[in-house]
Amino acid sequence: MKDGEIISNVRLQGDYFVVKFYAPAISRSARAGQFVHVRIDRGLDRILRRPFSIHDTAPDGTVTVVYKVVGHGTRTLSTLPAGATCDLLGPLGVGFRDVPEEVVPVLVGGGYGAAATYLLTKQLPQRGVFLLGARSAGDVLLTDAYRAANYDVRVATNDGSMGRRGLVTDLLDGVFDEYAGRKLFFYGCGPHPMLMALARILRKRGAAGELSIDHLMCCGVGACFACVVKVKSDTPEGWSYARACTDGPVFDLDDVYVE
Amino acid sequence: MADLTTDLGKLVLKNPVMTASGTFGYGVEYNQYYEISRLGAVVVKGIRMEPSPGNPTPRVAEVTGGMLNAIGLQGPGVEKFLHDDHYMPFLKKSGATVIVNIWGKTQAEYGEVAARLDAESEGIAALEINISCPNVKAGGVAFGTDLKLAAEVVSLVRRSTKLPLITKLSPNVSHIGDFARAVVDAGSDMVSLINTITGMAIDIETRRPRLANRTGGFSGPAVKPIAVRMVYEVAQAVRVPVIGMGGIMNGDDAIEFLLAGASAVAVGTANFVDPYAPLGVIDGINAYLDRHGCASVKEIVGGLRID
Repeated sequence: MKDGEIISNVRLQGDYFVVKFYAPAISRSARAGQFVHVRIDRGLDRILRRPFSIHDTAPDGTVTVVYKVVGHGTRTLSTLPAGATCDLLGPLGVGFRDVPEEVVPVLVGGGYGAAATYLLTKQLPQRGVFLLGARSAGDVLLTDAYRAANYDVRVATNDGSMGRRGLVTDLLDGVFDEYAGRKLFFYGCGPHPMLMALARILRKRGAAGELSIDHLMCCGVGACFACVVKVKSDTPEGWSYARACTDGPVFDLDDVYVE
Repeated sequence: MADLTTDLGKLVLKNPVMTASGTFGYGVEYNQYYEISRLGAVVVKGIRMEPSPGNPTPRVAEVTGGMLNAIGLQGPGVEKFLHDDHYMPFLKKSGATVIVNIWGKTQAEYGEVAARLDAESEGIAALEINISCPNVKAGGVAFGTDLKLAAEVVSLVRRSTKLPLITKLSPNVSHIGDFARAVVDAGSDMVSLINTITGMAIDIETRRPRLANRTGGFSGPAVKPIAVRMVYEVAQAVRVPVIGMGGIMNGDDAIEFLLAGASAVAVGTANFVDPYAPLGVIDGINAYLDRHGCASVKEIVGGLRID
């Protein structure tokens, strides 16, 4: 097998796909929250790489990515058959940190952000809570995988078609109540407005955690300064720009600048 | 293997392949992929006196055959650049030939940053004066599209340093040869071109510009014919070395620039596509020279045949 070879690339549901690459070096060292930067086709029409959170790795040298078809790159990727190869860089970026065994990990996902926290179920020996927010039942992903890892899984959908009607952040009160007296650590990944809402609530509660802030990326290695996000800083504005690709994508909750 | 040694007046490079400022960070980012001292030179991202936050996001947009960027010269400022491990101290250790791209919001600031770098010039091979960034409100291209201002900035920098000076020209002018002559007359030892071409892209669903800055610099393989034409014009206009860039993805692209009259080339957007791109360009130049029986890369500079 060649490095970057696609082992399988199948529809998960709706516009969501799961692709498995053979990439032993990346598979060996990847940690939850890190990403691969994929050159999907070698033509000069669309030249930029696309970043994807690493969903899973396996001892057979594979790296799994869950993606939604949203534009040119992901549409092209969804057409590639097993046996095709992509050029992968990775694992890139700062991943999620481990917490001591007595701490309960609470993973908070929005949409396919759910994929980025899955490796934590393998990385951490303790079980935890997985909260997922999605638009509709058709956007609820990976709950079976988290259940199989013995996580306490709770779902909210905007239209109420699965789980509680509302936002993923509406599930937080219940967790704080039921796990009162336990030390919690939050891991968040999802759309920007969701992460900002999550940050506000966690701050108010004095909770600790990390957020994976996904952003429009270009080089992926820290050189171009395209993917910057605002982090707290002692500048007159109170913030400065940090690179999502190398300073993140995972940032400590305390460093995230909430507007 | 041909001799790739490249002679840019006072500046001698081991090969003609440099990196384009703004596409290679400060060198350290790519050193994890290969030893950056293998390049002819590393041109770092623009440095001014003060730290700069850069533009709001989104800062890039992919377009057919390339990309738009409006990063806005985010940078650490000259003091941090000179002394923080991540920047100049790393570059000195790397053994790379380092060219520092400089800019300012005022003419005076160009002179100040040049003087500051001149005072601690150990490890710096040359300065590249950026009068062509299209994405900053003050400085940058404001100086590069006015003949008088361009000459004044270069002349001030010339008086502030003994380092070899490269002036990076903007393609957003009607007669780029005039700008090349003006900056050379003002004391620039050589010129580099092209910086990005001002462009725009619109999201038709939201009806908003795809860049927060509304416009940005267009780069990538699609701009190469414009860049080659401008390098050809500039090589006709001045007698100093010309550094050519604009859409170079491989060795064959680089050869076009050398034939048009460039003595060296820079790889820019291709770094984002493939971190190893500049090494591929060096290999491609070598292969071409071998195929054409050339003993030295100098043999093909300006080698365009016109009947």
